[in-house]
Amino acid sequence: MMALLMGLLLAQLVSAGSPRINYLLHCSGCHLPGAEGNPPNVPTLHHELGRMMNVHEMREYLVRVPGSAQSALSDADLAAVVNWLLIEFNADTLPPEFELLSTDEVSAARKAILANPLEYRITHWRNYGE
Amino acid sequence: MKIDKLIDSGYYWIDDAARRSALSLARKLSRRNFLSRLGMMLAGAAAFPLLPVSRSFAQSAVQEIGDPATCEYWRYCAMSGSLCACCGGSFSSCPPGTQPSPISWVGTCRNPVDGRDYLMSYNDCCGKSSCSRCGCHRTERDKPVYYNGNSSTVYWCFGVEDTSYNCTVSLVLGYSDE
Repeated sequence: MMALLMGLLLAQLVSAGSPRINYLLHCSGCHLPGAEGNPPNVPTLHHELGRMMNVHEMREYLVRVPGSAQSALSDADLAAVVNWLLIEFNADTLPPEFELLSTDEVSAARKAILANPLEYRITHWRNYGE
Repeated sequence: MKIDKLIDSGYYWIDDAARRSALSLARKLSRRNFLSRLGMMLAGAAAFPLLPVSRSFAQSAVQEIGDPATCEYWRYCAMSGSLCACCGGSFSSCPPGTQPSPISWVGTCRNPVDGRDYLMSYNDCCGKSSCSRCGCHRTERDKPVYYNGNSSTVYWCFGVEDTSYNCTVSLVLGYSDE
């Protein structure tokens, strides 16, 4: 059922097109058009984001990192891009009870400045390469 | 006995000739010369390094118009830097001896042939000192440097071994209106 819902949602997102275009315009310069990143300097957006969604604090982390929070995207567009990334490149690692990020959630999280993203990541998740 | 001497002197002559020619070569040619020729050969073998993005979209599907060695060319609508097309490469490939930076900035340009907007990735070619030919500065949808992900004037030679900037290529990532 979850897979079917995901499939429907994915089809909708792909046909709408805009999250993918917004990803290419605002994120792919560093994370690369295929979202594989360039570790260790540019984190990959494949698989690991899905695993992060098991940890409550890491939901907001995805939109509080400087690349997300400071992007020229609106809260609604940012939510759509992050949700698209989670489904497109992390479907295999997302927890079954995962719920998509809402615009309100993104608005609230984005206002809280993340002064030290790496420290937050290590505290709530893990260091790069671990 | 005489034959032995003859053979010895023959060997001596071969040794001496080899030594002399090696010395004269060494005097005439620097090590750098050899290395640069070898480098040229290796770079030539790699013939215009291609970026993964250039393969992800059928570049041949894009119809071209105009002169890629001028700043007015449609692909350069949001580009700041030297054109690789004037520096030994082309609008989409780095000159031999340089490495394309995987990190880029992305904008959109309208292709006058079909009137469609394309997502353009501006990748810097790095590893050789700056090519000063065809310096361009066009700023469509360019953002100030504090939005550095969308700033054309940011230096993009990251993620490569040698970070010296040579020139910039413009690759089509896809349609921006799809």
